[in-house]
Parts: sequence; C-alpha cells; structure tokens
Amino acid sequence: MATDHKTVADEIADRNPRSFEARWRMRVHRIADQSLWNHPLARVVAVVGAALLFALVVSVPLDLTGQLLFSAGSFGAALLLSRTPGRLTTLAMIVLSISASSRYMYWRVTDTVGFTNWVDACFGFGLLLAELYAFLVLLIGYFQTAWPLQRRPVPMPQDVDTWPSVDVFIPTYNEPLEVVKQTVFSAMQMDWPEDRLHVYVLDDGRREEFRDFCEELGVGYLTRDNNAHAKAGNINAALAVTGSDYVAIFDCDHIPTRSFLQICMGWFIRDPKLAMLQTPHHFFSPDPFEKNLDTFHVMPNEGELFYGIVQDGNDLWNAAFFCGSCAIIKRAPLLEVGGVAVETVTEDAHTALKLSRHGYNTAYLELPQAAGLATESLSAHVGQRIRWARGMAQICRVDNPLFGPGLKLGQRLCYFNAMLHFFYGLPRLVFLTAPLAYLFFSAHVFQATAAMITAYALPHLMHASITNSRIQGRFRYSFWNEVYESVLAWYIMRPVLVAFVNPKLGKFNVTAKGGVIEQSYFDWSIARPYLILLLLNLLGFAVGIWRMVAVGPSSEVFTTLVINMVWTAYNIILTSASLAVASETRQVRSTPRVTAALPAALRFADGKTLVCETDDFSQSGVGLRVPQGLKLETGSPVEVSLFRSDEEGTFPAQVTFSGNGRLGLRFGELSLHQQADLARLTFARADAWIGFWGNRQHDKPLTSLKSVMVIGMRGLGQVAANTLNILRGRREVVTK
Amino acid sequence: MKILTIASAKGGVGKTTVTENLAVALARQTGRTVLAVDLDPQNALALHLGLGPQELRGLSRASLSGQDWRDACFERQPGLYVLPFGAVTEYDLAALEAQIAARPRWLLDHLQALQLPDDALVLLDTPPGPSAYGRQALGIAQWVMVVMLADAASYATLPLMQRLVQTHCAPRPDFVDTFYLLNQVNSARQLSQDILRVLREAVGPRFAGSIHADEAVPESLALGMSVLDHGAHSQASHDILACAAFVAARMRAQAGAEV
Repeated sequence: MATDHKTVADEIADRNPRSFEARWRMRVHRIADQSLWNHPLARVVAVVGAALLFALVVSVPLDLTGQLLFSAGSFGAALLLSRTPGRLTTLAMIVLSISASSRYMYWRVTDTVGFTNWVDACFGFGLLLAELYAFLVLLIGYFQTAWPLQRRPVPMPQDVDTWPSVDVFIPTYNEPLEVVKQTVFSAMQMDWPEDRLHVYVLDDGRREEFRDFCEELGVGYLTRDNNAHAKAGNINAALAVTGSDYVAIFDCDHIPTRSFLQICMGWFIRDPKLAMLQTPHHFFSPDPFEKNLDTFHVMPNEGELFYGIVQDGNDLWNAAFFCGSCAIIKRAPLLEVGGVAVETVTEDAHTALKLSRHGYNTAYLELPQAAGLATESLSAHVGQRIRWARGMAQICRVDNPLFGPGLKLGQRLCYFNAMLHFFYGLPRLVFLTAPLAYLFFSAHVFQATAAMITAYALPHLMHASITNSRIQGRFRYSFWNEVYESVLAWYIMRPVLVAFVNPKLGKFNVTAKGGVIEQSYFDWSIARPYLILLLLNLLGFAVGIWRMVAVGPSSEVFTTLVINMVWTAYNIILTSASLAVASETRQVRSTPRVTAALPAALRFADGKTLVCETDDFSQSGVGLRVPQGLKLETGSPVEVSLFRSDEEGTFPAQVTFSGNGRLGLRFGELSLHQQADLARLTFARADAWIGFWGNRQHDKPLTSLKSVMVIGMRGLGQVAANTLNILRGRREVVTK
Repeated sequence: MKILTIASAKGGVGKTTVTENLAVALARQTGRTVLAVDLDPQNALALHLGLGPQELRGLSRASLSGQDWRDACFERQPGLYVLPFGAVTEYDLAALEAQIAARPRWLLDHLQALQLPDDALVLLDTPPGPSAYGRQALGIAQWVMVVMLADAASYATLPLMQRLVQTHCAPRPDFVDTFYLLNQVNSARQLSQDILRVLREAVGPRFAGSIHADEAVPESLALGMSVLDHGAHSQASHDILACAAFVAARMRAQAGAEV
C-alpha cells in the first residue's frame, strides 16, 4: 500500500491514543469541525481578518531587536507545531513559512535595493530576481503539495464481461531486445480478460529481430515508414491502426506488474470523465546519483519527490499529468485532442494539459505498479533532464497553462509550477556565486546591515526548510534537492532559455539504458562547470579570510564578510557534492538485480532438493540464501524453482558463486515460455515494488545536512586525487 | 477416532511413502495420537516406519489367531503407532480374506477394540484399486486421500477412484471429504506442470498439494529414517509438511463445524 504521508508525530498518535499527540490531533480536529466555519458570514470574517493580519505581519517595519524577537517567536511556534500531528498543523506551518518569507521579500524589495552604483545594482537586482523566482516556486509549491489527494484504487466490477478492452503500447527505438523482452512478457501476462488485452511493440527501429520475437510470442508488432516526432509520433501511428477503448503505455524498459490493469482501471469505470491515470515511475536500478554517491535505497532519489508528493498534490487540483509511461489513457479523449502532442519534446505533460483543457479529468495513483531501469550514466541522466526542461519551456511558450481556455485556477498553477520548476538553472547559479560579488568586488548586493539581513533572511530559509521537511520528509531529504539541482543547473539553463526564446530549436534524444560501465572514471567533461564554480568559491573564501585579517574583528565589514563566507562555505559543499556525482562508479552487472526474498527451491544433479529463499533476482540469474555448509562447484548445473502461491517455475541454471550461506546462479538457455514464466514470477509480481516505495526514515534536516557535507568532502577528495587526470582530459579512470 | 484412508487406483504411486510421512508429520504437528495401519499384503509400511524385515507380527496374524490388534501395534515415536499387515503365507492370506468377506465390520470392530482416544487419528494404507481391504477402509473413512502421479496414466484413473468413493463413502453421513495429492512432481517437465494445473482445476479446494520428486525420499527409506529428519531442508519434506498442515486444518475446521 502506498504510504500515508504520515509524520513522525502522526505515527505516535496512531500508536497511542492517550499520547499528547493523539489528544492534540483530536482537539484540533474538533475546532476544525465546528459548524461555525460553514456559515458564510464566518468565512468572510475569517478571510478578511486573516488577510488584514497577514498584511500587518508582512509589512510592519521593526528594528533589529524587534525583528529578532518576532522571528524567534514565529520560528519557536513552528518548531512546536512540527512536533504535533495532523494535516491542519502542516497547513499552519505553511502559513507561518509564507508569512516569514513574505515579510522577508517585502523588506527585501522595499528596504534593501537603494543601490548607489551600477555594479551593486547589477549584482543586487540579479540576486533579487533569483530570490523572487525562488519565492514564487516556494509559494506555488506549497499550493501544490499542501494536501496530497492519496487516491486509493477502485475495485473493478464483479462482472468480468463488462471490462473494457485495453491496448498496451510498448514504444521502442534503439533499446536492445533483452531490455524490451521483460516488458513484453509482463505486459502479456497482466491479469485481464485475454480477448480484451492486446499488446503491441511499437518499433521505430524496424528490427527483424523484434518482429520475429513478437511473432513467436503472438503479440502485435507495429512499425511505420518514418520516425517523425519520435515517441509521440510512434504512439500516434499505432493509435491509427488499433482500436481498444483504452491505451496503456509503457516505456520499453518499464516492466508492469500483472496487477497493473486491475489496480488502475477501476477509476475509469467510476469516473466517465477520467481520461488519463498515471502511476509512479519506480526504478529498480540506481540512477547515477544513487550509484556514484552510494545512496541507493538509503535516501530518496531525485524523482521520488515528484512521484511521492508533487503528483499526488497535483491530483487534488485535478492536475496530475501524464509522464509518458506506466499510465493509461482513454482512447476517445486522446483522439479528440489530436493524439499525443507533437509540438513539444515533453509530449506527455503537454498531452495531459490538452486533455485538461478539454474538460477531462486526470488522476494519479501512488502505487508502484511497474518498475524500470534508471538512466545509467550521468551524461545520459543530464541529457534526459535537458529534454524535460526544454520541453517544459516549450509548453510555456506555445501553450502556456496560465492562459488559454478550459482550465481551473488550481490546474493553471500546478501546470505552471511544473514548468517554472525547470527554470531553476539560472537562479541556482546566481545563488552559487552571489556571495562572490561582495568577496571579490565589494559589491553591496544588499543595502542593509549584516545583522538585519540575518534577522530577516534566516527565518525565511529556516521556516521553508522545516515546513518542506515535514511535507516531503519521506520522499526528499533536506538539502539533497539542492545537490541535485546544482548538478543539473548549468546544463538545463541554456536549453531552457533557448527553448523559451525559440521553441522550435532542439531535438529529441533517447537515453541508452542497461549498460555496463567498464571502469570507474571521472566524467571531467560533465564536471567542468562545477570545478570552475568550486575553484571560484574556494578563491572567494580565501579572499574573505585575507580581508578579515586586513580589517580586523571590530569592523562592520567583518560581520558582512562572515555572512558571505558562511554562504560561500555552503556553496563549496554543494559544488563539491556535485563533483562527487561526476565520479562514475564501475557498474558490474548489465542486468541489475532486485533485492527480494521469494520462496525458491534447488534441484541438484543427484536428484536431491533444497528449499530456500532468494536474496535477489535479475533477468539473467538469482542469488539464493542457503544453509551455511552448502558449497557447490562453480559451473555445476542445478535447477532452480521459484514460487508464487500456487505457481511454480523451474529454470536450468549454473552456479556462479557459492559460499557463506549464499549461492549465485546464472540461468542457462531459457525457452521463450520459460522466460515468460520467469518474468511472471519475478518482475511481474503484484507486490514486487510496493515494499520499496516511500518506506524510509522521515527526513531529519540536520542529519541530512551532515550527509551532504560528507559527500562534499568526498567530492573534494576525489577532485584532489584526480587533479592530473582532470587536467589531461575527459573520462579519466579514477585512481583510488 | 478419526479415519483417513489413503487410496490410489494404480500401484507404484508412492502411497505407502505418503502414509508414512503424513503419519509422522501429523503426529508432530497436531500432537494427537496417530496410528498408521497397513492394509496392503505387501506389508511395506513396517519397513517405512523403521521396523526390521524380520518382524513378522501384524494385523493379519492377529486376526487369524483371534488376538487383540493392540499386541501388533508398535510405537515408533511418542504418539505415533504403526500397525503392520504382518507376514503371512499365501494359504493364510486366503483364509484372512475369507474372514474379511464374511464380516463387513471386520476393520471397524478391530479398530474400535483398540479403544483409541477420541481425538486419535487413524491413517489406513490400502492396496491399489478395488480390493476387500480397500472396500472396508473406504467404508469407514471420514476422509479419503487419493494419491496420484503427475502422468497421463495416473490421471486417467481419476474417474475410477471417484466411483469407488461415490459407492463406499459418499452415502454415509459421517463421511466428510476426499482430498487429492499429486506425488513425485517434476516441475521441470511440462507434462508434470500441465497435469498439476488440470488436476487443480478439476478438484478445486480438495487439492491437498503436491510432493516433488526428490532423491531424499528413497535415500531416507534406505537409511530407515523419516525424510522429515534426514532431508529436513528438502523440497519433499517441505511439501509433506504443507500437505499435513492442509489435512490438519481441514480436520480442525470439521471439528469446529461439528461443535
């Protein structure tokens, strides 16, 4: 089951109904449930009163002592609230955070921009714009994520004869057959009436090997005579020659579970206006961040925030959008909007936007019912994000959600933030360099004293940090988002700006997956911008020390220097952490293994058997947990059986590793039938991915900051150890 | 006393092995007194339950000499008893069968004379196909366990067994249910898998499980041990425990229904 987005305090309240947390929650609910709030007059009074108070809180000028006392009170209240359960508390924390940030921005705009020379003004307004951007994203972000809908699956009607027909599209272009096979096997074995499930491989590569494979399995194989509009065009071509009521779309490396359709289709039956339902993209292999930083299954990855919180929050506003894979679209509405959108390179989000404009509903079901391979190298990952960013900028230009017909305000804001989000490149780079303006050029980007800046800015940042940590705690750890953004900032900045200026520029790139990185190496070409940023910040820090020594601790300049150097130090941590990501770790297996304890049995050559359990599985082999004493010759043949309730599949295999209670097996030649069985008993299990989803410790901001710092130190160490290699050129082998 | 009759239409399906292992597993799992009775003149159960080939005593001799069956019962483990058929000459066997033919309650009377506890469980191992022993065993069973192999010949005998049960068991009010067990399954063979699937569909919730073909089974017999001990981690042992758990659960459910 999907996680319930529960805070630590909520868990305590659930466990113990007599606890303070539980009683608090009950009391708050009682206040919220008062019938008074339903009275229109009470509502008007409350809204007007709150608006006046808010205006007061934001705009009243205070001196340093006053501001310090005020922020201490406000932050103290937020800290106390953060220890109490319930969504109303979350909303209250959001209000406090918005107040603190608005107060800061108001002060910032009205009180700190009296620049006296053009250098100050340039840097100053640049920073202000970046801050305004961040403020806007923060506000809309709260709007988006304040109340995730947490939709649950709706059961299908008892009468199977009424179930609609579904086409499953598996578009592919250049991915190897080995990767696509699993998806096809799983798709064709989904639990759905056989006569109403039609699987099609949409091969834009037009490969004989694929045609033969599909023919042998009896699944559809579709090609077209051109590759216009890439994946979107591919799907549209298939729409023209197929006819089921619904279309389920899976990227060729996203393996659905057998329960996918039964779990997802119920909502379409309940809501006739529903046109698209999206499920999370779960990855069973580490993305480059997770691989290179060794955080796989330890920390939420870059995508989890989106699928864990943002999409679920969008869903409340009927603005969940299509993400290209692991989704179902109703054919009639899709054809009504002209098929999958081809005007932009993020055809998925754009298609959903069009459906919304036509008055159809969209839905998001936060249940991982498919899993796939993450991009395997950092450069591929960056390439993919560039495409997303470019596409979103294109939509912003050609079909801006703020304007045009058919959308509700909530939908406009959610779609707009999805686009706005990708403009973070430039602001992020501004933040990474802003303190240098003062350290190098003595530019006063703030026309205020260091103490006042601290008194206003710190509450703004800290409120935002603890509030977001509460909302997102299971799907994003504090400060990690900034590492992810820092790595991508430089690369997405230019494509976004170019696409925003001219949406027609740019092409679609497909990311290769399932490869092997032969040797660990330092991707110097990717890391270059961050090396430069790091060097600049280090230099800035050194200049800062030198100037501190020069002016002495009693001077006013000294405190300003300290503030800028703390900021620079934080930037040094972020850039070094980004560099750690560029150090690509060797990837041993070309088919990633999935950790899972499944019932299994072995049959040895002498006819004896052993009941055991798997440690992990992949397309090409399994790891088993066996009694300590068992030792087998490497290469010796065995038969391994995997079970799922009544089902059993037996596969020939060879021992690749034996010892310490572990046994590694590689499958022998499997027939197509056996490969399909294997898929059904492993990747296609209904419960295969649910255990991995959101099942983590709640975020602790300080612990998280520490882990970013540790990674940053590692990055610095790697750079230092590889200076020579870096100077010599790109992709040098990492020396350990 | 509850009676489970183990039956099969064909020989060589491993019925005696199943009886032995179910008896051991049920005695351990339920803690009830379990008596395994061999009604097959081959007298194989004694060997399976660890009695030496020189042991001649059994229910055949006891019946012919008018002795109490109690004297021919051997306790193999705490709570687990075996009553072998015993070794008899061909002449004596004919006399015994005549006796049985004349007394329809021959088996029931002898078992009742043992005065077993109320919750005791009696497992009756029968000769394959229709026989005088089988008729009496089916005629008093609360449950019948039909053992089959995962091959076409064995599957073809399913209707014969169903007819026998229909004749001897179904009309009695104290009869509860028939179970089906597939023995020596080899999951690597497609035929084995197919028959498993067909049988499961045909008998539905009466399917008691399957026992995988496993060298640990004949090896245990040769060593005079139970496969549950000798091959504790083997698949056969795992399967037998699962089957015993199935039987025990059904018996518990029945006991619950009676109360």
